Amino acid sequence: MSKTQKIETTMEIVRTLVGLVIAYAVALIILFAISDDPVFIVRQFILGPFSSPRRIGSVINLAIPFTICGLSMCFMYAVNRFNLVPEGIFMLSACMVTFVSVKLGNALPAPVMLPLLFLVAALTGIVMAFIPAIMERKFNANVVVVSLMLNSIIGFLATWIMRYHMKDNTISFIGSLELPENAQMPRLFSGVQEKEGFLAVLKSFRVQSGLIIAIFCVIIVAIVFYKTSFGWKMRLVGENPQFAGAVGLSAVGISFAAQLIGGGVAGIAGATEMLGNYTRFQWTATTQHGFDGLLVAVLAKKNPALVPIGALFLAYIRIGADVVNTSGDIPKEFITVIQGIIILLIAAESFMSGTKHKLIFKAAEKEEAERKQKQQANTAA
Amino acid sequence: MADEVLRMQNITKIYSNGFIANRDVNLVVQRNEIHGLVGENGAGKTTLMKMLFGMEVPNEGKIFIDGKEEKIANPLDAIHKGVGMVHQHFMLLPSLSVAENVTLGIEPVKNGLYDFERAVADTQAIADKYNFKIDARAKVADLSVGQMQKVEILKALIKGAKILIMDEPTAVLTPQETEELFEQLFILRDDGVSVIFISHKLEEVMHICGRVTVLRHGACMGSYNTKDLTQASLSKLMVGRDVVLKIEKEDPTLGTPVVSIRDLVKINSFGKNVIDGLSFDIRAGEVVGIAGVEGNGQTELAQVLSGLGSFASGEALLNGESIKGKSVREIRDLGMAYIAEDRMVEGVAGNMSIKMNIVADRFAKKEFKKGLFMDAKKIDKLVDQYIKDFEIACDSPDEPVRMLSGGNIQKVVVAREFTSGANFLLACQPTRGIDVGTAEMIRKTIVRKAREENLACLLISADLNEVLECSDRLLVMRKGKIAAAFPKANQVSEDVLGEYMLGVREMTGAEMEGLL
Repeated sequence: MSKTQKIETTMEIVRTLVGLVIAYAVALIILFAISDDPVFIVRQFILGPFSSPRRIGSVINLAIPFTICGLSMCFMYAVNRFNLVPEGIFMLSACMVTFVSVKLGNALPAPVMLPLLFLVAALTGIVMAFIPAIMERKFNANVVVVSLMLNSIIGFLATWIMRYHMKDNTISFIGSLELPENAQMPRLFSGVQEKEGFLAVLKSFRVQSGLIIAIFCVIIVAIVFYKTSFGWKMRLVGENPQFAGAVGLSAVGISFAAQLIGGGVAGIAGATEMLGNYTRFQWTATTQHGFDGLLVAVLAKKNPALVPIGALFLAYIRIGADVVNTSGDIPKEFITVIQGIIILLIAAESFMSGTKHKLIFKAAEKEEAERKQKQQANTAA
Repeated sequence: MADEVLRMQNITKIYSNGFIANRDVNLVVQRNEIHGLVGENGAGKTTLMKMLFGMEVPNEGKIFIDGKEEKIANPLDAIHKGVGMVHQHFMLLPSLSVAENVTLGIEPVKNGLYDFERAVADTQAIADKYNFKIDARAKVADLSVGQMQKVEILKALIKGAKILIMDEPTAVLTPQETEELFEQLFILRDDGVSVIFISHKLEEVMHICGRVTVLRHGACMGSYNTKDLTQASLSKLMVGRDVVLKIEKEDPTLGTPVVSIRDLVKINSFGKNVIDGLSFDIRAGEVVGIAGVEGNGQTELAQVLSGLGSFASGEALLNGESIKGKSVREIRDLGMAYIAEDRMVEGVAGNMSIKMNIVADRFAKKEFKKGLFMDAKKIDKLVDQYIKDFEIACDSPDEPVRMLSGGNIQKVVVAREFTSGANFLLACQPTRGIDVGTAEMIRKTIVRKAREENLACLLISADLNEVLECSDRLLVMRKGKIAAAFPKANQVSEDVLGEYMLGVREMTGAEMEGLL
């Protein structure tokens, strides 16, 4: 590695750590002011998510949709098109798989039913992502604006489908009919009978089987990004569209295709969450998972292989907030503020860039001095 | 006379990628002076001025204005301290009037509302004072380029600028407009405004500047009185053509025409014919050089031939097939390779690895695939070979290109374009702003490939040395047309070439017969 490259990598790590330390320090200071037992609260926030198998399981369960949504956003982010429709797709695809499975009932066996449902979800995502993408391509509409507006439309569309086409009138709250059994994905290790031993511990985590899908998706997407020509094209187009054009790639076509694929992945995210965690579709508004996905993609620097880490981190601080909320005297909103600070400091690329530039400057200066010395030595000789 | 307005002392600027743009530069400007700041592209003129205008912060060095040391934090601060800048690309609001543009930021107010009449009066007053023939009520969108520039100057003057930076102001002007601008600059000068005139047009600098400071590769080559200099000695300072480049080459054995251009016309968005009925051939085995002052249609010609830009009429054939309406991919597949003028924009993706940049034009081809995936081994082997062949100094093929020096970045570009298997090379400014060693390697490779591999090459370059030495046939472009053609480039003198480039002389069609 060159000097500059080394400095950049080191500073990246230092920056993240300093960001964390500052965020927790700020939190601690405020907590001392407003809480009766600040140390307890901080310990709960930091260690709470690890305090029981159930909570560890919750972190993992929450990280699953974050991961798949993060992958979806990686596609948008890689080609620099902030198509935010995954937020809506997550809800609509959950709605669509519920609708299809309710209509089909138990007619199909699970091994056929589940792939069919995931296909429906992916298609839902592709169709929805197509709308802002084509609007931008044909009419030069701003993809961010179109996708945000589309999210509102999708939210109401999904609610309408639920209320008018699959509402369960026998329950006292608003929700769809129950998913047929062959469409529900069991929790991992739920079949384990032993009360003790390794498997029993795994069972106690209560992790949804979406974990397998998430891992599968990470591997596939990472391969697409780094091992296929489409992934290479996508990254080239995202980094420098003019250069991509000059070497004969169609920047427009490639970023269009990337958005569609991203939409498809978001569809899979919604279906995974729905079939793995719920028995009915009950959402009446979009769920923020899409936006969280963007956050994860930013934290992971649009590298699919790092997405699970970003997702786990986000899930960890979310669960920490829940723990504090239920066990301490601090309102959940306060924890949201701390989350905000942490994410802000980590995502802010220019944070501490002054220090980085100074280090690079010093290194360049040193090289320059060496160069001069050499020159002088040469002229002397 | 020694009334010093500005002193920039020992200025050093290192960009965050480690690139040293200015090294120990000194610049002193007097009152009542038009001070030339000259140097090749990439010599560091613009960087130096950006620091004066608060757009960049120097790493080292001091800036004194009127003898007082100043830290200039941002452009607003610079304006406050009496520095005004007229950018090469105008920063105007086309839908507003001249007066509104000029008073932007210091709007006159009456009863809490914008006082348009006062703005017009103020603007007109200052315009008349300096003999600017401009209507303060006119909409900027309706003005000519020359008039827009005046609005820019007015913007600086109304805010009390006593140092006016003009960044290549004549690049966009017609000769008449240029003359007019000069007269106004003289009025400004006599009125106590110091003008820093950035240019690489030597005759203009000699004509209007009292003193001139020369930059070369980021370093200061000193300041001189223009009356002590000739254009020749100034150009020597700028370009440092002490080492005259010589490339040994035999006469080309000409093959069939690879590229045929007939009556090519390209019209830009302002309706101007930027390429105006161009016709010439490039044959296999020869290097055709195009010389000319920048902005005479060379860039547009490259855009047309590379497929990045369209053309209005005429015909361009590559290996017998028309390129009209074809995509870059299709033209590349017909046999075109392209070294782009600005390597950071069209030549590389800075954040991507050396490896990806080298194979960017071909990784999607079948030969680099293994089933669904990329054939990583084959690509690695190829890239390692090219890094060795082209002597790219790097730590690994996975290092991002932006961390390399300019010369090594250009080596990445040529490693790709020289090996693409094309029989037509479109080389635009192939050695701009890079070290001598790399430049020589690139030039020699171009000539060698023409001789040994029957490559047809179109070399578009602002570096006279380069076009004169590398080319076989030499064409001069002026105002979108061929102004002159010479059968043997290395027998043309720079003086003669300069006269054709600047329009002092022009060849007739009969003189160029058989040379196109």
